[in-house]
Amino acid sequence: MYLKTTRRLMAAALAGAMALQSGAAFAQEKTLKVLLFGMPSTIGLQALAGDFEKETGIKADIEIIGQDVFENRITLSFAGRTGDIDVVHTPAIQVQRWVEAGWINPITDQVDALEDKDDFLKGPLEAYAVEGDTYALPFFAEVGLLAYRKDILEAKGQQPPKTWDEMLSVAAAINTPETAAIALRAAPGQGFNMFVFPALMWAYGGKFFADYPSDLTPAINSPENLKALQVYIELLTKYGPQGVGRFNFPEIVAAVQGGQVAMTVDGTSITSQLVDKEKSPVADNIELALPPSGPAGRFPPIAVHGLAVPSDAKDPEASFKFIQWATSKETMAKIALNQAYPDFTRASVASIPEVVEKYSGIQPNFLDLRVEALNEARGDYRPLISTWPEIGAALGENINGALNGLVTPEAALEKADQEVSDIIDSQ
Amino acid sequence: MRDDSFSFKLKRGFGILMMLAFAVFAVFPILWVLILSFRPATQLFVPIWETPFELTLENYSAIIGTNFPFALLNSAITAGASTLLALLLGIPAAFALSKSRLSGKFLASWLLLLLRMAPPVGFVIPLFLIYINSGLIDTYAGLIFAYMSLTLPLVVWSMWTTFNQIPNEVIEAALMDGASIWKTLVKVMIPIARPGIVAAAILSFLLAWNDFFFALIITRSETVTAPVAVMNFVSYASVDWGAIAVASIVLTLPVVPVIILANKYIVQSLGGAVKG
Repeated sequence: MYLKTTRRLMAAALAGAMALQSGAAFAQEKTLKVLLFGMPSTIGLQALAGDFEKETGIKADIEIIGQDVFENRITLSFAGRTGDIDVVHTPAIQVQRWVEAGWINPITDQVDALEDKDDFLKGPLEAYAVEGDTYALPFFAEVGLLAYRKDILEAKGQQPPKTWDEMLSVAAAINTPETAAIALRAAPGQGFNMFVFPALMWAYGGKFFADYPSDLTPAINSPENLKALQVYIELLTKYGPQGVGRFNFPEIVAAVQGGQVAMTVDGTSITSQLVDKEKSPVADNIELALPPSGPAGRFPPIAVHGLAVPSDAKDPEASFKFIQWATSKETMAKIALNQAYPDFTRASVASIPEVVEKYSGIQPNFLDLRVEALNEARGDYRPLISTWPEIGAALGENINGALNGLVTPEAALEKADQEVSDIIDSQ
Repeated sequence: MRDDSFSFKLKRGFGILMMLAFAVFAVFPILWVLILSFRPATQLFVPIWETPFELTLENYSAIIGTNFPFALLNSAITAGASTLLALLLGIPAAFALSKSRLSGKFLASWLLLLLRMAPPVGFVIPLFLIYINSGLIDTYAGLIFAYMSLTLPLVVWSMWTTFNQIPNEVIEAALMDGASIWKTLVKVMIPIARPGIVAAAILSFLLAWNDFFFALIITRSETVTAPVAVMNFVSYASVDWGAIAVASIVLTLPVVPVIILANKYIVQSLGGAVKG
């Protein structure tokens, strides 16, 4: 009697397990697996996946996930050499590390064979060159701009600041308890405060290393870097909103949109949210300009994202076909029209009339401003070395510590210098 | 006996105060998230007392368009199935461990517990590679199987102690009356042990429901569970706090009625009382 029951139970369990299995097998058709993280341009790309299939007959399964989940996923997949990613989202600051680990393959020959290769903006494309080879094609290049409330500046008779020194005096003139003058990314992280702080560092003549890339002796504790850090701290502690010491980009977006902050310097993926009339109540009063410069020049923050072929991809040619399609003029133009995506990486897209019309709605010279800032930006704004993620994290922590008054600026830079030196030595 | 002394009243007052403080401590974050989930995006960072009437259902309607409802369903399927399977296998196992005179049963139970002693991060790489090579990645079967490494030891160990509290005479009486071992388990032991079973089921369901780690590693788009899907609201240039608040509330909701309804069973089981 109970044997029968057992058998029935086991049969049911097996049947259940097999039903689950076959469902899974059905989902495992031969398709290109594209792994991206969430931003307007990747969401726009996902919506166009059908076009790729129509053009090439290859099905693309574009998965978009959060950045943290993404980091975990690729680390496991690449370290385990599982071959379950055919095209991977590749931030430029990661490319050196991934190449060193053997995670992605060069696509130099295919890229050189592209007829319209020269249409790619030079800086973003060069960000993917490692030792003479090209490892990815850029689909996104954002650049730092100054966003300011023209109504507030006009009311106080101020001109938009052209230098960081002027920024101090303008901030002093417009700061009120209701609307703080300025917010900048402060949360520690290579992509957080270390996205913005190098703009001041470079502008005041500071640098990361003695002679990058040939001599990587840290030069963090220089007088120039100290000056930059002091200006950064003065701006935020004297003229920043409450709690700015922990601000990251979401808080900056919220604070400017909510009218609690009058100025910021941030990437176009952030500033475009400030001028978005649907989301931002202050959009009509926001004006964009080139970021402030310093004694050594102007150094707009820059972030580049591209698409690469993992070294364990099953069909590298099909993978490259996808990358070629995703970074084509037609695809970029479609996304630029469908999404908030002024961060395209082809020069020709900026001259398509519909695109020009859409983005001149933000501000007549918006696209020109972006190109001008991109041309001024240096590709190694954040050093293009494989240890940058650790170095950026160490610098970010110390700079945040100094901003929040936990250590003096001098001590913070001294400690950061030592930590960077340790990271370089352990290589 | 009534104690009207001042010191007793003082002690009791202090006790109530402590409980209240603890309740506020536990409930406040949930309340905060609940408020956030009803705030429009532009008011998220404005204190609620400044604009108390700026409320919206937008966050809730927006989340329906995402893959979050699907992820919630995946969570329910995998947590439910792994709990059921763990009960199906675990109850007979616990019965055998408790009542048979097998040699080596302590070794067996200890091996089972070994699974819980190792932190998941210690065996994640081999598990991941096995899953990739056997095609279990991103399948319900794979995730349910992984969750059983959480739920099965819990069921076996908690049911083992529950069965230990049931006197052997009950089994002897059932056997004497001609019941088979299976019939004794199903008709006699399980009804007596019901509080323990309910408690074990709820605790193992929650264990699987709240899991982030396994789901992060072995799910993809087809079987992504809710705790992982929440992370997808954190994107490159924006963090959708409204959606995260809604997701957190929705993720908590199904658990609340279960806990309230089953409260007495859990307390009984953890308290060790068995009513015949």
